[in-house]
Amino acid sequence: MNQRSLLAALMLTIVALLRASPAGAEPYLAVQEGYKCNVCHVNPTGGGLRNDFGLTYAKVLLPAETVDNAIDSWSGKITDRLRVGGDLRTDWTRDTAPNTPSQQAFALEQFRVYADLTILPDRLGIYIDEQVAPNGSQNEEAYVRYGNTTDGFYIKGGQFYLPFGWRLQDQSAFVREVTGISMTTPDKGVELGYEHSAWSAEFDLTNGASNATTGSGYQVTSQVVYTKPIWRVGIAGSSTQSSAGDRRVGGLFAGLKTGPIAWLAEGDIVHDDSLGRTLAAGLLEGDWRIRKGHNLKLTAEYSDPDRSVRNNQQTRYSIVYEYTPLPFLQLRAGYRHYFGIPQNNEENQQVILFELHGYF
Amino acid sequence: MNFGTLTALSRSGVALSVALLAACAGNGEGLDANGRPLVPDGSTPPPLSADFESIQENIFTPICSVCHAGGAAPEGLRLDAADSFNLLVGVPSTEVPSLLRVKPGDPDNSYIIQKLEGHAAVGVQMPFGCPTTQPCLTTSTIALIRQWITNGAPPAAAAMLSTPLAVTSIVPDRMESVNAPPPQVMVAFNHELDLSQLATHSAHFEKLAPGAVPTVIEQVPARISVSSANLRALLLWPARPLSAGHYRLVIDATSSSQISDIGGQQVALGAPDERGETVISTFDVEVLP
Repeated sequence: MNQRSLLAALMLTIVALLRASPAGAEPYLAVQEGYKCNVCHVNPTGGGLRNDFGLTYAKVLLPAETVDNAIDSWSGKITDRLRVGGDLRTDWTRDTAPNTPSQQAFALEQFRVYADLTILPDRLGIYIDEQVAPNGSQNEEAYVRYGNTTDGFYIKGGQFYLPFGWRLQDQSAFVREVTGISMTTPDKGVELGYEHSAWSAEFDLTNGASNATTGSGYQVTSQVVYTKPIWRVGIAGSSTQSSAGDRRVGGLFAGLKTGPIAWLAEGDIVHDDSLGRTLAAGLLEGDWRIRKGHNLKLTAEYSDPDRSVRNNQQTRYSIVYEYTPLPFLQLRAGYRHYFGIPQNNEENQQVILFELHGYF
Repeated sequence: MNFGTLTALSRSGVALSVALLAACAGNGEGLDANGRPLVPDGSTPPPLSADFESIQENIFTPICSVCHAGGAAPEGLRLDAADSFNLLVGVPSTEVPSLLRVKPGDPDNSYIIQKLEGHAAVGVQMPFGCPTTQPCLTTSTIALIRQWITNGAPPAAAAMLSTPLAVTSIVPDRMESVNAPPPQVMVAFNHELDLSQLATHSAHFEKLAPGAVPTVIEQVPARISVSSANLRALLLWPARPLSAGHYRLVIDATSSSQISDIGGQQVALGAPDERGETVISTFDVEVLP
């Protein structure tokens, strides 16, 4: 390790120790490192723009090879008060489903840019998350934040993602689809949050996705997470009052580090009055950090779209290899197999994917 | 705990989890292709064709309503069989309000087509995740949806006249609280309405004083209209924005207005009260400061 790498490692250690609790980027990284979301992300509930520590982690600890000048090559700071970042994902996929012609295509999955303007240090800021491609620009998050997002209370107002369970990279995971709460479903309202030591808690009052066209109803979402260095546990709940029918969602999730493997688990149950159904979904993910820059992700998922109907359950298994050769560049290759009722082709498809992920 | 123990524990966890989850996929016995229990005659849905019933059965229900259903439906667009037509045809999209989700006769300017083909101005291609996590709809499938729209986007034939005219939904309704003055109240029916039977100024909003006995403290006239793009949705517009309070929407006692479909079937929106007026909906307006 050269002098610059040593300096970076020392900086990371100091920053980590100064934090109320250590933290990561994707949830499996957070579990592997024993971090809370706000250690690496500007957004205290995770995802999006990386902070000083998150960028340093991405430059030094995450990639297989640490580029010497990466430490000072990109800080994300345009000025002392303005920070920007982004993620670009492009991929090639091949879908195969029974009795259906295979589909394969290159696609630009997403290019998102983030910006955070600090108006009053550690007290007042404005955050934006904008998807600029594919297609036209679409705002994902835009909110004003007041308070301390690392140790104390804060409040957000505007449009933001709701806190519920694991904020996974794969938004099509059963637990995200069944709950209807993911990084594709931001909502408008206010969030009261609390961060202290091992505790993170959020309480959100928002419009509710189903009320977008009616101007009526509301959604209440709350989550509490307790984080320790090798394990964590969280509980989340959400209730939507809507003319479409009320909807209640409950979830438990947990993380555990066993040697080089980080485990993520989540179980959710949903009751939707408008559908007259109770739904359930589960996730178990193991991330094996084979060595620096190499991660093998194995995922098993379960979904029951109607608890009162027999023989209709679905499962999905994924194996994804993630290789991060250099700072700010990740290659992913994976295979997913869906299992469902035999009379539905879509529920029995197989997907092969190769993805290039650039971020800053 | 040493490394070997942890590794063994991890392996056990993987084996146990895979064993538990592998046994859980349903065998589909007794279900149709959408995972719903078969009706007694065991009939299977017909292949996809350019009519709404077929599109609902083959596309909206099995693919779209996985997410677009219930209280978490993205953009408030519910695509289950009970709601999809009234929330699609003639309804402005929330992402690009200048475009109707389905504009009868004009598939190119129907937002649903732009979303399915992946060239909408806002957001990602639908079905969500295609082609990464699920296949996109094929060109031939989208062509059939285009054809349905080109044909005028008619409702399902079975829903047109074979069942009695009935209200399918009222928004807002059921003592609902809305957090802003509603621009209109929508009453959706299962059949297309006969516009010639409607008197456009035969309804009004009544603001009620708190208390067990309803006391009207303010009346706001309402205008009735029906979108030419969706003849199954009755829209009732207040003449002025409603202030905060408890409201009911009533059909005037002296009105000669009739709600009937193009086949002549009539429907009563509710039982007349002691004044002979019919209450269509009751709701609260909570205007935030």
